[in-house]
Amino acid sequence: MIFAAPWILLALALLPILWWLLRATPPAPRDQIFPAIRLLAGLKSPEETPARTPWWLLALRLGAAGLVIVGLAGPILGAGGLAVLSRGTALLVIDDGFASGPDWPARVAAAQAVLDRLDHANSAVALLTTAQRPTGETPRATAAMPVALLRPLVAALHPQAWPTDRAALVDAVRSSGSGPVFYISDALAGPADEGFAAALAARGAVDMLTGDLPARLLLAKPEPERLVAVLRQTAVPAATHETVLAETGDGTVLGQTALTVPAGATRAEAAIALPPELRNQFFALRLAGAPGAGSVALLDEASRRRPVGLLAAGSGGETPLLGDNFYVERALGTTSELRHGDAASLLGRKISMLVSADGVIGTADDGAIEAWVKAGGILLRFAGPGLAEQAAQDGASGKLLPEPLLAGDRQLGGAMSWSQPAHLAPFPPGPFAGLAVPAEVTVNRQVLADPQAGATPQVWAALTDGTPLVTAARLGAGELVLFHVTANADWSNLPLSGLFVDMLSRLVQRSAGVAGSEDARMLAPAQALDGAGVLGPPPPAAVPLRASDLGSVAMSAEHPPGFYGPEHDRHALNLGSERFPLVAMSKIPGSTRLSLLAAPREQPVGPWLIALALALLCADMVLTLRIRGLLRPAFAAMLCVVLAGQAWAESPALATHLAYVVTGDAEVDATSKAGLVGLSAYVNLRTAAVLADPAAVVPGRDDLSFYPLLYWPITANATGSAAATGALNDYMRHGGIIIIDLQGGTAGASGTGAGFAPGAEAALRRVADGLEVPRLAPLTSAHVLARSFYLLSDFPGRFDGGTVWVQQDQDRANDSVSPVIVGSNDWAAAWAADDDGRPLFAVIPGGQRQRVLAYRFGVNMVMYALTGNYKGDQVHVPAILERLGQ
Amino acid sequence: MVAADRVAATVAQGVHGRRRVGTGDSFWQFRPFVDGDTPARIDWRQSAKSDRTFIRDMEWEAAQTVCLWRAGDASMGWASARGLPQKRQRAELLLLALSALLVRAGEQVRLIGVPGRAFRGRGAVEGIARALPDGGDGLPPRALVPARSCVVLMGDFFAPLPEVRAAVAMLAGLPVRGHMLQVLDPAEVSLPYAGRVKFRGLAGEAETLIPRVDGVRAAYAEALAAQQDGLAAICRAAGWSFAIHRTDTSPESALLSLYMALDAGRYSR
Repeated sequence: MIFAAPWILLALALLPILWWLLRATPPAPRDQIFPAIRLLAGLKSPEETPARTPWWLLALRLGAAGLVIVGLAGPILGAGGLAVLSRGTALLVIDDGFASGPDWPARVAAAQAVLDRLDHANSAVALLTTAQRPTGETPRATAAMPVALLRPLVAALHPQAWPTDRAALVDAVRSSGSGPVFYISDALAGPADEGFAAALAARGAVDMLTGDLPARLLLAKPEPERLVAVLRQTAVPAATHETVLAETGDGTVLGQTALTVPAGATRAEAAIALPPELRNQFFALRLAGAPGAGSVALLDEASRRRPVGLLAAGSGGETPLLGDNFYVERALGTTSELRHGDAASLLGRKISMLVSADGVIGTADDGAIEAWVKAGGILLRFAGPGLAEQAAQDGASGKLLPEPLLAGDRQLGGAMSWSQPAHLAPFPPGPFAGLAVPAEVTVNRQVLADPQAGATPQVWAALTDGTPLVTAARLGAGELVLFHVTANADWSNLPLSGLFVDMLSRLVQRSAGVAGSEDARMLAPAQALDGAGVLGPPPPAAVPLRASDLGSVAMSAEHPPGFYGPEHDRHALNLGSERFPLVAMSKIPGSTRLSLLAAPREQPVGPWLIALALALLCADMVLTLRIRGLLRPAFAAMLCVVLAGQAWAESPALATHLAYVVTGDAEVDATSKAGLVGLSAYVNLRTAAVLADPAAVVPGRDDLSFYPLLYWPITANATGSAAATGALNDYMRHGGIIIIDLQGGTAGASGTGAGFAPGAEAALRRVADGLEVPRLAPLTSAHVLARSFYLLSDFPGRFDGGTVWVQQDQDRANDSVSPVIVGSNDWAAAWAADDDGRPLFAVIPGGQRQRVLAYRFGVNMVMYALTGNYKGDQVHVPAILERLGQ
Repeated sequence: MVAADRVAATVAQGVHGRRRVGTGDSFWQFRPFVDGDTPARIDWRQSAKSDRTFIRDMEWEAAQTVCLWRAGDASMGWASARGLPQKRQRAELLLLALSALLVRAGEQVRLIGVPGRAFRGRGAVEGIARALPDGGDGLPPRALVPARSCVVLMGDFFAPLPEVRAAVAMLAGLPVRGHMLQVLDPAEVSLPYAGRVKFRGLAGEAETLIPRVDGVRAAYAEALAAQQDGLAAICRAAGWSFAIHRTDTSPESALLSLYMALDAGRYSR
């Protein structure tokens, strides 16, 4: 601990004088009214001992004075770690490239701690950042300014998404004067670091603070079946375990994988398996727990599913179930991106496969398609009547076909032929090898290759008699593939089967896509990553990029990492390209290297000490008042009560409460409480009765005499106790009403709740062992309970149909009110509602009417409990009137 | 007033009659007929029992005037503890109870310093309670008091003895019989304070700072005893009686002794 103003501590020497003063001054005397004062006048006591302040009061006051003095001297905790030794203008250099993103808050805290130390030394500080500003200009050192002016600048810094550029800062360092240098570095070597290091060393003593995390770059390598995440970092001596998340555009994590970087390694890989349906949704790979531009690898179209171009068929090509393109679309639509159009528009963008479903390709497109195929595309053609006819007309042209075709087609099966429709043979080695051939796939009609033309295409699929069904030939870097049947179900039912989908997806995977055909385009920056790894608008200095430079451009403010290009053709530029070297920075000569955590922020303790001294003085004032007799104990007690808050429990006799028996099962108790709350609200709303919050009671422990109605849910493990039974008997004898709810009953019980509460009846027999329950009879609509507020004919709760039992005979001693209502319809669950009034449990069999009836039955029970036999008398009034009249 | 009635009822059970011949209601004696007596007063039944004529004498119950006064200055309005009544409340209670007793016995009651008629009969106590002044002095005022009446003074009498002697002398000069009752708070008797205390008076006296009250307690008791002896001497010189009452003792006992003193004083004349 150090002190900001240590000379104030000299005032501690005054404390003994204060002690002597307080000791010598007698305390104030007590005040007393006395009428016989005339008799006291002039009386002298024989010996006069001087009055003294009690020693503890003296200690309290001296302690408070001491704390005030020490607090004013400004003690500061945590001022170790860094020492500002040399004089001159200090320079604070902060690396704010992409490598400082993951632990940026710690760096800012360390910068603030450095500024704290410099504040004590009262030196002027200049600030220098090392990465290019988003506006494109090279950073310059600020002028030397006092620490207070520099703090907001430091707090407003944030990391950039590109590497640092220290070579350009050498002049800035040289021209900033001389003095100690504090360098918060990301420890990543860059080009021309030696000049920078030399300039720093020449300026003064260098203290370098580095973090513990290595600089990391994430790279994504899409492969056909999976996505491989590659993590590159500077070597650290310990193995680290990271998690790589695959995210969609709105941040949802769709997949993740764990990645382990061994000790001393600079590279690690892990793969994320992807189902093809989700493949297109992946947007970026992110390293968990390290927010920064280097932890994000953006994915663009190169990693997505291969787009397939579908040449527009003639009219009727899109007809469902009959059109040529229909089955191809259905087969490829889920796993690939399908594009429709004519040849020119399709070939204008990158596609991996071109499908011509009706067989005919116009001569105008021939050349473009041929060039495209030679460059590496796959052309997939289906046979059809048009192709057969073209083959008949053109003869053995074989243009854009794997082999010349025979004119006409071959019919298998049908009315005019001897043969049956042919089945497929197992696939020969090729792209379809391994696919299972279903037995129901048959071919009725197909075109045939011309055996005399001399072409030897590859046969990828054949019929059982050896006739080729799918043939392919290589053309340049690409392939021509021909299905000898139509793409719809005219010539075979292959397009109807799942085999068709598998075959087409295999073909799509086989297609490598066409790479880099549009090289000279300029792609404008669309979105850019900022230093924290968040995608946003590009910085002001970003300029368009040539498409061919995507793999080789150096990252800077002009070319920040992000997405380039128009909306439909985004290309991602990532930091993590293999070209960027990740090497730890070498030590600056003559510098001391510290960890970021070595310099904690200082905490001034002075204000706390002064606050403590004030509290002690308040206590001293209270104690002095007490000594003088001015503090009335009653007033103090009242103050304590007021301060402690009104914690006394409201007596249950002040309002009418319903009560439920605590069963011990938290869910059941919560349902009971919620149910009674709902019922109380319903009763308050619709009747003149005013019910307060329901109370939880334990019979035997709590006094039951305050509650008119007691709700008792019987759980399967309920046990009775003698005290509880005695209390309940007492309660029933003195006019209480208990609702015993079996909450469904065992299987086979009446009502729709059968089976929901197995063991409830056995439990009821157990707990009702000593209860003085009178003889029960089923509740009918002639009973008072069915008429006490609403006229009811059935009494559902959460379940319906269960019998409700009430006392059979009218007991005049109990006002003809039944002391117990037994049922299994689970009423509390029907009444239970949450704070917004929405019911918590669904009623079975259902319907809003059942819930309303449950509430009405509850109101009837409450009215029955509150009014006793009043409603019974009302029921008998017609009989009474009848007797009186006749 | 209710308290006064209650106190008076407690004491009234122990009252004896006036033992004199006079006009009254209760039988006193039979005496032989002497020439000069009115023949209408002959009691024939008693005379028939013997051969002499007797006259029935009744007890003397002539209404006497009793003048009451209680001190009403500020120093009377103090109680040392919350459970104790103020001295003035106790003095008023005793005054009203005494007047209730006297009125029940047929006497007349006046208040010293309050001009007006005397109170007697039913409603006398209420009239007295209404007529009692709120304030007052520490010593009785110069007022006309009927001769041959009784005077009862209640107060704390902390005033200097010469002043008290002058007030008593003024009253005793007219031939009145008097009784003085000093009402004290128990704290004034025992001085239960400790430590360094600054005492303030209620009637505007100067403050006194006592560094150690324990030390002056004995001296204070002496001063109080001296004051009480002085008051007793003044009363003795005037032929009056003097009593001391503490507010923590029951008022019934004080009332009984006061009533006895009133009776005894009457019979001494």
